[in-house]
Amino acid sequence: MRRTDKYRFYVILGVLVVLQFSLRGRLGDDRVAPDFLLLALLIYTIRARPGPSAAAGFLVGLVRDALTPASFGAGALAHTLVGYLSSWSKAVFFAENLFVNGCLFFAGTWFRNLAVALASGKLKGGLLGWELLVWSPIQSLTTAVAGVLVLWLFGRHLAIRLSDAT
Amino acid sequence: MVLGADRYASRADTLAFIGCVLLSVAAMSLPERVRDPLARGLRQTVLAPFLTLQEKTELLSASLLRYQIVVAQRDSATLAATFLSELRGENVRLRGLLGLGQRLSGGYIPAEVLHEPEPSGNLTFIISAGKKQGVKPLTAVVSPEGLVGIVSSVDAQSGVVVTWAHPDFRASAMAADGSVYGIVAPHGTEGPRVWLLELQGVAYRQLVPNGTLILTSGLGGVLPRGIPIGTVVGVAAEAEGWERTYLIRPAVQPAAVSHVMILTGPPTRSDLRSVFESGSGSGGGVGDGGSGTGEKP
Repeated sequence: MRRTDKYRFYVILGVLVVLQFSLRGRLGDDRVAPDFLLLALLIYTIRARPGPSAAAGFLVGLVRDALTPASFGAGALAHTLVGYLSSWSKAVFFAENLFVNGCLFFAGTWFRNLAVALASGKLKGGLLGWELLVWSPIQSLTTAVAGVLVLWLFGRHLAIRLSDAT
Repeated sequence: MVLGADRYASRADTLAFIGCVLLSVAAMSLPERVRDPLARGLRQTVLAPFLTLQEKTELLSASLLRYQIVVAQRDSATLAATFLSELRGENVRLRGLLGLGQRLSGGYIPAEVLHEPEPSGNLTFIISAGKKQGVKPLTAVVSPEGLVGIVSSVDAQSGVVVTWAHPDFRASAMAADGSVYGIVAPHGTEGPRVWLLELQGVAYRQLVPNGTLILTSGLGGVLPRGIPIGTVVGVAAEAEGWERTYLIRPAVQPAAVSHVMILTGPPTRSDLRSVFESGSGSGGGVGDGGSGTGEKP
């Protein structure tokens, strides 16, 4: 990877973080708007090893937990799992393909929501069902669409080469 | 391409993952007195610039919304300004009604006119008062300027008014000085004089000069005496030495009336001309009704 590509990669991740705190509030209901912070994590995990991905997930989750202290730690656990599993599974199973990456974003978002819901213990019964079967799939879809758009627009700078992951 | 898992999840990666999971579990089990300061600390340090960004964005969004509201208010004000003359006119009419109400001192019901945008809207219209308010059929409907019409039918909450322009309208009338009596009816339904009245049945030898104020005579017991109907503007027809018919410019244009009064009870005075005459001086009454003397015949 060239040095300029590396900078661009982190600039794009930074832009996604900024979008999370600026644009997301204007994209409709909080339950369905794309999660740019998680998207940044997932894009990072595509290129990084599972260990750093888990650490990044833990940090992202901890930061999010600071914004939702009622379920403190649940976000850290969920993002750690998502970061590690995404990086590991991407490296082990998935080929380099836009659609496959979209599926990874979808699955990662849904699994994150599942892990947070279960770990926090705040959602039960019908509420949990609605969250996992209605709202989470919609949010996963919007996040996946946003992720595919990012890869499509900036794929040149985000190109995942297996050699980079070693 | 399928690669071995060992190559991508080394022992260090696994240890890092386990460490992060343990730290997460530890964070979950933190007591509130430790958890809250930790979360607060993160919000005040790492997250502070992002939260500021979010706050500014919300502020910007709210400002844009407020701007749109201000623009909408400005547009509404501009639109309202175009109707300002109409509002002033309505204000004058309402003030006139208020003055008339005070002078009548009872025996009336105020009502709004519910105009319909139809060609026949000037012949009959609906008023916003009915049986519940005490309105009865065949009662006089007036505005500060004079007679508007007669209530023809009444529902529970509304009534139908037949205006003077209706072909079936008739009223017993007299000159303001009581020297001439006749029957007032609409002049016709065609031609340029369609919105004029005519005073029929005036004896040939009785001349009525132009500008003479015509009032209701009170004969027949339907309409009270002394309500302005209009002013004479000329002769409409002559019948060979028997009678003359005079054209009358109505005191009230039904299309311009927005509020009326229905004279329900017995008025305090048997002759209402003084009520309308005193209103004519305040700008809301009969504009050119100066020929009335106030004397009874």
